[in-house]
Amino acid sequence: MTTLSVAHLGPTAYRDGLALQESLVRARAEGGAGDWLLYPDHPPVLTVGRSGSPGSLRSDPETLRRLGIEVFEVARGGDFTWHGPGQLVGYVICDLSKRGRDLRRFLRDLEGCLISALGEWGLAGEAVPGRTGVWVGGEKIASLGVAVRRWVSYHGFALNVAPDLGFFDLIHPCGLRGIQMTSLASKLGPAAPTLAEAREVVARNLAERLGHPAWRWETADEARRQAGVATTDMREPVRAALNHR
Amino acid sequence: MPISIVVPQLGESVAEGTVARWLKAQGDRVRKEEPLVEIQTDKINVEIPSPAEGTLSRILVAEGITVLVGTEIAQLLAPGEVAGATPGASVGASSAAPTSSAVSRPAPEPVAATQAAAAPAPAYASLVAPQGPSHGNGGTSLAEARNLSPAVRRIMREQGVGADELSVIRGSGIAGRVTRDDLLGYLAQRGARPAVAGTSAPGAPVPVPMPGPTPGPMPPASRAGYLAPQVAPAAGGPREEVIPFTKVRKLIAENMVRAKHTAAHTHCFDEADMSAIVALKREWSPKLEAQGVKLTYMPFFIKASVLALREFPWVNGEVKGETMVVKRYYNIGMAVGRDDKGLIVPNLKDCDRKNLVQLAAEVNDLATRARNDRLKPDDIMGGTFSITNAGVYGAINSSPVINVPEVAILGVHRIVERAVVRDGQIVARPMMNASIGFDHRVVDGELAVKFLRRVCELLERPELLWFYA
Repeated sequence: MTTLSVAHLGPTAYRDGLALQESLVRARAEGGAGDWLLYPDHPPVLTVGRSGSPGSLRSDPETLRRLGIEVFEVARGGDFTWHGPGQLVGYVICDLSKRGRDLRRFLRDLEGCLISALGEWGLAGEAVPGRTGVWVGGEKIASLGVAVRRWVSYHGFALNVAPDLGFFDLIHPCGLRGIQMTSLASKLGPAAPTLAEAREVVARNLAERLGHPAWRWETADEARRQAGVATTDMREPVRAALNHR
Repeated sequence: MPISIVVPQLGESVAEGTVARWLKAQGDRVRKEEPLVEIQTDKINVEIPSPAEGTLSRILVAEGITVLVGTEIAQLLAPGEVAGATPGASVGASSAAPTSSAVSRPAPEPVAATQAAAAPAPAYASLVAPQGPSHGNGGTSLAEARNLSPAVRRIMREQGVGADELSVIRGSGIAGRVTRDDLLGYLAQRGARPAVAGTSAPGAPVPVPMPGPTPGPMPPASRAGYLAPQVAPAAGGPREEVIPFTKVRKLIAENMVRAKHTAAHTHCFDEADMSAIVALKREWSPKLEAQGVKLTYMPFFIKASVLALREFPWVNGEVKGETMVVKRYYNIGMAVGRDDKGLIVPNLKDCDRKNLVQLAAEVNDLATRARNDRLKPDDIMGGTFSITNAGVYGAINSSPVINVPEVAILGVHRIVERAVVRDGQIVARPMMNASIGFDHRVVDGELAVKFLRRVCELLERPELLWFYA
């Protein structure tokens, strides 16, 4: 098993994130890329997986339009979920052929990685059989939803670090009624890790859980390059950072 | 003869899957490997590719229906084959039902029994390589021990689990392989017993990690590096270990001795007020990180060194016999500690032609490749000057050894808030000691001190870049 490459993509439109994942999945299946963990920063967005039911959406299209929230239907498992600022979204591009093509074990590994990360912050996360995701004291702190194409996984997990939990009122998260969402910030207050710290800790735990001997930070450009998507030169980050202000 | 499309094995504990979506309609032509259908289990959605080129002649299971693994869900006709030639002895309720029916959510029971028996259908093999616990009782041979995951091997090493002990662990992984959880479960039990696997193989004690000069097949557990903790000596076991040098260690040893024997090592020290660089880094790290570039202090040290080297070219050189070769290119080496794998000093090429962000990206790349044994020969050749940062491990000062045949090395260290006097007032400032190790044969003390002062000055007053760059 090789090194797990980890990249923070920075601000990423949901559509662009999806396109990058799909290109990377193709490259992974064809041997042009290794296993990747991508951290996109998505603007608020609702996505619905293949087991989505219209009843899980609690808000009308007008409200969503007013809030500037787009809804995407995606080929992952699971029902409705929300992504947005303050949440650590991790796309896991992993060749499952090299891991016995065991889907459930992969899900358990994702859960396990988040649970051990939570442990490092002193939180007892748990997996609840039949309710995939990670829970802390009966409240849901992370959601999972995975897609597999040519035995390469994509999509992944969303860990609530410090999002506005009010967004989850727009839906019945994961199609579950009466479910309480929580976050690291609500559980830990000022002791909660920053997103940057969370990225580091989760990456390390994921590499360990998936049996990678090492992991390393890569640039978003390198992810795009391996995915066969055009890259920019190194002046671009500076320009983007300047425009960011 | 139509090819059956079945729900493939999706994992050891996965017995059923739901047809989430047909990506092709009945009658569609499909290419080999083209996705046919999405199957969902738990929260995973899997695309099933077509095993061959042909026409999707029949869809047997409608969307939303949950079926057992191995169930035939569609049939494919090879190009030129006539539809309906063989009715395909369909079994069970769902296969009789065409696509349109059964929109209601599935009750998996009726499909169960009959189709479970049909699991190892011949077409199944063409979709997924067969796997699973067919070998039953879970014994792990030594040969299989080589297929253990790195995590398992690491735990074995840390906990002193010998390869012979593995055989008593019941493996729940593929082909009875011992997984991390199996091993941890075993260790939790073993912990109660003080002795190391005394019961399992009384004739064979824990292998003492003392491979002789002839490199016999070492068990993977003891193939650790130079400094990694080896198997903990059992009570009464050996109190010392003899570990042969690795190839890397031999090279390091030779280089260090050559450096100390040839260069007339001398050191001098200075300090820099890092307020400006700390502020710059604090402001720009998050911005650049958002763009995927991790910013450390190293690019600043490289930049400052290159500018000072341009001013004092003699420091950027090499002794060759009784000549001094002064170099007008700036390949800056950086020492990378790699725990047990040993120090290595790859260099960044042509640093004078790169901006800070490029340097930052390349520093990260070079350091990670060094740690992962992914350096190319070119990376460690052709250096002209080196920097070593003992500060990352906590040092506040050091007298570094020159990376010969270079003639000087810059030591940078931990940045510490210290009380300093500014305009008659005692104030706290982030201070850093800097040192230079130089070959006094060719670099005079005056030159070394001036060079080091300039490096510190450039760090203290980044605006000087306007004048020097």
